[in-house]
Amino acid sequence: MKTVSISGSSRANVGKKDAKALRRAGNVPCVLYGGKEQVTFYAQESAFKKLVYTPDVHIINLDINGVKTDAIMQDIQFNPVTDRIAHIDFLQIVAGKAVIMNVPISCTGTAVGVREGGKLQVKMRTIKAKGLVEKMPEKISLDVSNMKIGDTVRVSDLKYDGISFLESENVTVVAVRVTRNVAEETPAATATAAATPAAGATPAPAADAKKEEKKDEKKK
Amino acid sequence: MLQPKRTKFRKTHKMVGKGIAQRGFTLTRGSFGIKAEEAIWITARQLEAARVALTRHLKREGQVWINIFPDKPVTRKPAEVRMGKGKGAPEFWVAPIKPGSLIFEVDGVPMAVAKEALRLAAQKLPITVKFVVRRDYVEEKAA
Repeated sequence: MKTVSISGSSRANVGKKDAKALRRAGNVPCVLYGGKEQVTFYAQESAFKKLVYTPDVHIINLDINGVKTDAIMQDIQFNPVTDRIAHIDFLQIVAGKAVIMNVPISCTGTAVGVREGGKLQVKMRTIKAKGLVEKMPEKISLDVSNMKIGDTVRVSDLKYDGISFLESENVTVVAVRVTRNVAEETPAATATAAATPAAGATPAPAADAKKEEKKDEKKK
Repeated sequence: MLQPKRTKFRKTHKMVGKGIAQRGFTLTRGSFGIKAEEAIWITARQLEAARVALTRHLKREGQVWINIFPDKPVTRKPAEVRMGKGKGAPEFWVAPIKPGSLIFEVDGVPMAVAKEALRLAAQKLPITVKFVVRRDYVEEKAA
């Protein structure tokens, strides 16, 4: 897993007034917990750029007034209007203690179904996983190259040693779906195929297709 | 146009919308969106105009979510009627929004397309909005 180093200073006072003053000065109030005691500190907002605005998960080497600790980002809050970071929670890594993390999912390869005109839908960008930090993968890679139209990968299909996924087993992770263009082409193609053997039977399916199209338009 | 199927009461008080959005300000479904920078009542008509502009530019690609719903009835008294004699009749529906509220979310299209579509949608709204992107968004490489 990637690591990021952040150095901060412990907060002298806590509370709304102090937090607002810190934010005005371009800092982010933070808290570190999960160890023996809770530590409140602050660090420069620019230091979190690599940690926050990325899909990757990181181990953070925190340096608070010279005391070094390893942690993971547990929670983050943003200002609703400005979208600036308002507060960050860090969870201290304790040896032998399992943590819960949102691990990113990345798809590799081009699915067979996509080449046939389908669309790859990534339903989950991250997945909640529980396990020791050492066992936690940087990302969950899914090889989608063998997926055809209509195929799905569910949470139960993901197997990783040492970690368990905290999602329902039947939740879809990735699926190759039929696009509208393909769906529209298919009835038309069948109609033309039927036209060749029996010329008398052609108008009926074509008319049906047109009626269906009209119905769809009305629904819209 | 969006409006509730049925309501418990026909008319509502005006209510005062102070402060900033306390919920509905995070991109939850899409990768892109527009966020209100002012507090206003957006009418169902304005919202529909924005939706049409947005979906037209997307050309049936991608997915659009509308995060606000006009569930507040607004009343108007007829022209040339003296004050009093009760509250007017419900005329249209509005969605009261606060600064920070996400109005639309879009996904499944490249960022440039989404940005242009949302710019066109924003022109139909009576407030200034800003384009927002999911914080872990990475532009996918063209296949």
